Amino acid sequence: MENLIEFLSLSDPNVRYVVLGMVLLGICSGVVGSFTFLRKRALLGDAIAHSVLPGVCLAFMIGGTKNPLFLLVGATITGWLSLIVIDFISNRSRIKPDAAIGLVLSVFFGVGILLLTSIQGSGNAAQSGLDKFLFGKAASLIGSDVWVFGILCAVMTLVVILFFKEFKLLSFDPDFAHSIGLPIRLLEIVLATITVLTVAVGIQAVGVVLMSAMLITPAAAARYWTDKLFKMVILAAIFGAISGILGAYVSYTETAMPTGPWVIVVLSLIAFFSMLVAPKRGVWAQYVIQKRNQNKIHQENVLKLFYHIAEKGDQQFRAARSLDELLSRREFPTSILKRTLTALTKKELLDKVGNNQWKLTDEGEERGKRVVRLHRLWEVYLTKYLRIAPDHVHDDAEAMEHVITPELEAELDKLLDYPATDPHDSKIPR
Amino acid sequence: MIVNVPNPVIEVHDLTVIYNRKPALWDADFTIPKGKLVGIVGPNGAGKSTLIKAIMGLVPLSSGHAELFGKPLDEVRQKVSYVPQRESVDWDFPASALDVVLMGRYRHTGLFRRISKKDRNIAFECLKKVRMEAFANRQIAQLSGGQQQRVFLARALAQQADIYLMDEPFAGIDATTESAIVDLLFEMRSEGKTIMVVHHDLESAYEYFDWFVLLNTRLVACGPKEEVFTQDLLVETYGGKMNVLAKIGELIRENTFPVREDNSPLR
Repeated sequence: MENLIEFLSLSDPNVRYVVLGMVLLGICSGVVGSFTFLRKRALLGDAIAHSVLPGVCLAFMIGGTKNPLFLLVGATITGWLSLIVIDFISNRSRIKPDAAIGLVLSVFFGVGILLLTSIQGSGNAAQSGLDKFLFGKAASLIGSDVWVFGILCAVMTLVVILFFKEFKLLSFDPDFAHSIGLPIRLLEIVLATITVLTVAVGIQAVGVVLMSAMLITPAAAARYWTDKLFKMVILAAIFGAISGILGAYVSYTETAMPTGPWVIVVLSLIAFFSMLVAPKRGVWAQYVIQKRNQNKIHQENVLKLFYHIAEKGDQQFRAARSLDELLSRREFPTSILKRTLTALTKKELLDKVGNNQWKLTDEGEERGKRVVRLHRLWEVYLTKYLRIAPDHVHDDAEAMEHVITPELEAELDKLLDYPATDPHDSKIPR
Repeated sequence: MIVNVPNPVIEVHDLTVIYNRKPALWDADFTIPKGKLVGIVGPNGAGKSTLIKAIMGLVPLSSGHAELFGKPLDEVRQKVSYVPQRESVDWDFPASALDVVLMGRYRHTGLFRRISKKDRNIAFECLKKVRMEAFANRQIAQLSGGQQQRVFLARALAQQADIYLMDEPFAGIDATTESAIVDLLFEMRSEGKTIMVVHHDLESAYEYFDWFVLLNTRLVACGPKEEVFTQDLLVETYGGKMNVLAKIGELIRENTFPVREDNSPLR
């Protein structure tokens, strides 16, 4: 607890730099990465991330300093170069884009590692810490880094705001964007540049290997929560920022823990959580809908069963039926039937009378009758309009009886001219 | 059979497009008069989509050029609208139907500017014209194929252009949408708009369009339907390997329009 308060007060300048740096990076990669994600360029982000390594090494070899601005320039140049090479290979050869990305990624990264190894072997004292670009070392962020982060982040966010609707159109329908005369070449270059810059800024904190996760994961998580692009971008920025803070906190309390990987872990957890619980798109929401439909189907089938037993037998629609009688007329797993009977009793569609006996209520009878009616109406429709043989329509009607809305029912009834019987000569109950 | 017209609104000169050293469109050269509803017809891979993409400058040209209103495209872009194939975009994009229609106003809004109230009103009116106003705020992935196509048309209407180039607007849609689109196209024609539509159902083509471009990599014919939609030219377009041809023979007979100008009887 003390830890947390101390951390949140940001009184320690080192903590301040790390937290601020990670938050800025999180926001930036969330905003920029949203477009990378929507344009389905996730792998390209990975290729750029790996391709900035040789740039960093070359910049160091030429300049002999670890000045962040200087290394950034080197990173941006090779990052951009990788994009051009990928474009060139996929346009001018038979190699497809995915293979081109794979090729460029590994070749650039390989050259980067080669340069890094040779720098480390050179005995240059200033080189120590250059290997942090591989996996990142957020803890080493200092004041001047944060300034660079801050300015670049502000510039890039501003660019996205300015070009927001153009980027939106470019991501959704580039051909149309071109056709209305938007300068799409320019827009693509701007978007690519801010992506490369974000990656170049980020590698110091999270490293080339993890940077593409930083770019894609916030957007992927945000997409689960909203169908509005603007909200999605804001959410991605928030997710990026939160994971930045939490990652920094973990490595603050456990000094042996690295910040960058923890940021990614937190991001992954957010994405995983979003995937599970997001409304509508989430796995849980989908499950609930399925479950609800399943229950509705079971309940309607049971009501229908009461109706059928009476219709085929004693004509006593309100007679009490026992569990065994129900089970003898339709196959049901006993546990499901019991559960459904209880649910129907609770909804006052059934009355429980005596020991394990149930009978339909007014509304229950009406509902059971309706399901039977829909089933038979649909069978009439299938045989009459789709010319399906009467002995092939049952299964389809079995499913459709739960789907048809009252409006559709009225329309169907009118279309079929209020038929009295179904194709099997059973009466359609009204 | 290429009927050229004076004062065309669309003029295509020796247009050739080559993909991977294979010609997709070969020396197309024709003119289209104002206010016509033009069907671009031909077998699969005949270069129909390529033709309108080439006119819109979306694919690199190997030779030739296209002029709209007698000017290069860049000078008259505001008056030209392009409707891409529905499948060309990912509909699981975070946008509503209205958002997509608003994209048709971006050019009018200009770079860096926010969308104005007026643009919003125009976009909404356009959604009404395609009978989609009830779905304005619906996420586009939740629309049916036909509804998505209507959203695309509404976006084109929002551009308030004079020439419309549409790539397969009738592909994979329901009958309601098809008739809604046809009504809309007729209305647009009566307002003097020129509309070119890539179409692949020959049976409905004769009914919908009044001018035809018959394409099979090269231009087979271009002109008014009475002169161009003939059995000979259709056979030439489809290279004789088409079962539909038998049906077309019937169709031509049913509609009793002359197949040749000398009225030679059909077999």
